[in-house]
Amino acid sequence: MELTIRVPELVRALQRVQGIVEKKTTMPILANALIKSKGKDKITVSATDLEIGLTGDYDATVVKSGAMTLGAKALYDIVRSLPEDVVTLKQGANQWVEISCGKVKYRVVGMSADSFPTLPSFEQVPFFALEPRIFKEMIEKTLYAVSTDETRYNLTGVYCEQVQGSPGLRMVATDGHRLSVIERPTQEPPAMKEGVIIPRKGLVELRKLLEEGKEGGRLGFIENSAVFEKDGITLTMRLVDGRFPDYQQVIPTTSTRRVRVNKDRLSAALKRTSLLSPDKAQGVRLDIASGTMALTANNPDLGEAREELEVEYDNEALKIGFNFRYLMDVLAVLGEEQVELELTDELSPGVIRGVGGEGYRAVIMPMRI
Amino acid sequence: MRKVIHVDMDAFYASVEQRDRPELRGRPVAVGGDPDGRGVVAAASYEARRFGIRSAMPCARARRLCPDLVFVRPDFSKYSAVSKQIHAVFHEVTELVEPLALDEAYLDVTENRLEEPLAGKLAKHLKARIREETQLVASAGVGPNKLVAKLASALQKPDGLVIIPPERVDAFLLPLPVRKLWGVGPKTAERLEGMGIRTVSDVRDLTPEHLEHILGSFGPFLYELAHGRDDRKVSPHRARKSRGAERTLDRDLSDLQDVLRLVDHLAHGVGEDLARIEQPGRTVVLKIRYSDFTTVTRSRTLASPTTDAARIAAAARELVADTEAGRRPVRLVGVTMSNLVEEGAPLQLELELPG
Repeated sequence: MELTIRVPELVRALQRVQGIVEKKTTMPILANALIKSKGKDKITVSATDLEIGLTGDYDATVVKSGAMTLGAKALYDIVRSLPEDVVTLKQGANQWVEISCGKVKYRVVGMSADSFPTLPSFEQVPFFALEPRIFKEMIEKTLYAVSTDETRYNLTGVYCEQVQGSPGLRMVATDGHRLSVIERPTQEPPAMKEGVIIPRKGLVELRKLLEEGKEGGRLGFIENSAVFEKDGITLTMRLVDGRFPDYQQVIPTTSTRRVRVNKDRLSAALKRTSLLSPDKAQGVRLDIASGTMALTANNPDLGEAREELEVEYDNEALKIGFNFRYLMDVLAVLGEEQVELELTDELSPGVIRGVGGEGYRAVIMPMRI
Repeated sequence: MRKVIHVDMDAFYASVEQRDRPELRGRPVAVGGDPDGRGVVAAASYEARRFGIRSAMPCARARRLCPDLVFVRPDFSKYSAVSKQIHAVFHEVTELVEPLALDEAYLDVTENRLEEPLAGKLAKHLKARIREETQLVASAGVGPNKLVAKLASALQKPDGLVIIPPERVDAFLLPLPVRKLWGVGPKTAERLEGMGIRTVSDVRDLTPEHLEHILGSFGPFLYELAHGRDDRKVSPHRARKSRGAERTLDRDLSDLQDVLRLVDHLAHGVGEDLARIEQPGRTVVLKIRYSDFTTVTRSRTLASPTTDAARIAAAARELVADTEAGRRPVRLVGVTMSNLVEEGAPLQLELELPG
């Protein structure tokens, strides 16, 4: 195989697969990107970790058709440091590939394209259109709550289901301590019979693709996979094979103690009081009384911090503890100026939502301090 | 001089069972595993002890010693509830209570809530209060430190009360066999006895250097103990490091599915335990003993501490895959949670997600 391609085009292709290739893998081929000719003036560049796969078409001049694989990380580092605008890749014997660009030459060794795993390809995926800005928001407002604990396999992704009634999509994530749920309308009903769990890593890559340019994309679910297409790129994600818990049961519906507070002020106060909790894993105590909320943090090794905030609240006083990080994670994704904390008691889940913002709620279990 | 009381319930599990089941009173009772299998005796009533039955003895052997022995399966949740009552009584007297087991604790009563200067009176009071609250009998020992208090409580069981004031410590200790001293297990005792060192008095004839030569770093400590000196504190916050359950099988398990079922069962018990003591754990430890007695342990640390039985079970099941269970017969399975959140430490509560 031999091809000539513009350096920025190849950089773009390789950048997209960096998050997919496996760095620590027992299958060395998974660290490689597959480069394949497609007619005379296109190549495809693909990578997979066997769970998710990304493949995209790129403009190139194919001198001699064929396929090769090269270490994705090393190739990316080489190509983005090349001095000229055009690069030639030429396959020699025994998987050696010559990379030449102006006066620069590399010889790198690849692996046979025959040993590269076949990426799943699907016919007639029932796609529905995604508004990139909205879908990106949905990912951002759920991804932080996904569990990283492999023993809770069914929580290691974001649950997606169709909203009943008006066309819309609902996404839910939880790690067992907190849960976030968001629903947004879609232009057309999402074509899905039942809820699915999209793995965390897939959504991280999907978000990156949504951030590129303004064009929308389309998402579909087929067999045990989710497929996202945009602009000549296809991302396939194997769905998490598990049953997502009945999350509705843990979302409080009757919280009577509602505290309204300016989001930025609350964020700043949390940031200051959390300075005594270097890993942010410790708790902050909220003492809520009519019109005020005091934040206190105690660290046996460092000392104590306290800050008072004005809030809108007119009910019985309440003391409740929360993990710093869980509160900060929610505030970081909320766009509204005011937030509302809906609390029941110091041992029951609390809800945070933006005032005026519809369709998004974050549930956090308190800490017993 | 400190005043320490060691309180030890008499035949605790067996006594609780006899209290709650009148038909067992006056009869030899062994609380423990299945006599037809490979279980062991966890506790024997005094009637059973007369036949030579002791705890940790295989049930099958106990039955040979006493064919009329009544075997009762243990109910740890019940014992733990009784233990709570007993500890509440201890705390009426002092905060300085160091639990050793469900049925045993040290109390430092040098200063006490009843402002009673005589530790002997306090020990008597404790025994009476325990009987009042639980209808159970305890033995108590009083001494200037833990070593002496514990030796004293064992002296006149059951229903014993032995007070060793400082001036009588020597007379009390000297004739005791060396294996009675804290830290002297069967191996060390055998070693010392082989050298003609049989009693505490024999130990006293040696120098700390000589003892160090024989026993290593434990030697000088043993020298102190033999002189009745023990400055170990009664520390109420003896941190619980782990919580677990294990089961010796009646018949070896060769089927992987059977092993996994047992792991699930044990994990659920451990999860319930952790939830009850409100101390989630972070590290799951699996122990497998094969039929040839070789034992392996495997462990895994979770992303966050938990009491959730399903999470503990899931991790333990994965650990099973890393053993030869299913390919080699297994005679013992254990599941332990370690890395527990400290008692009373801030605790992240969990959402009650169904399933």
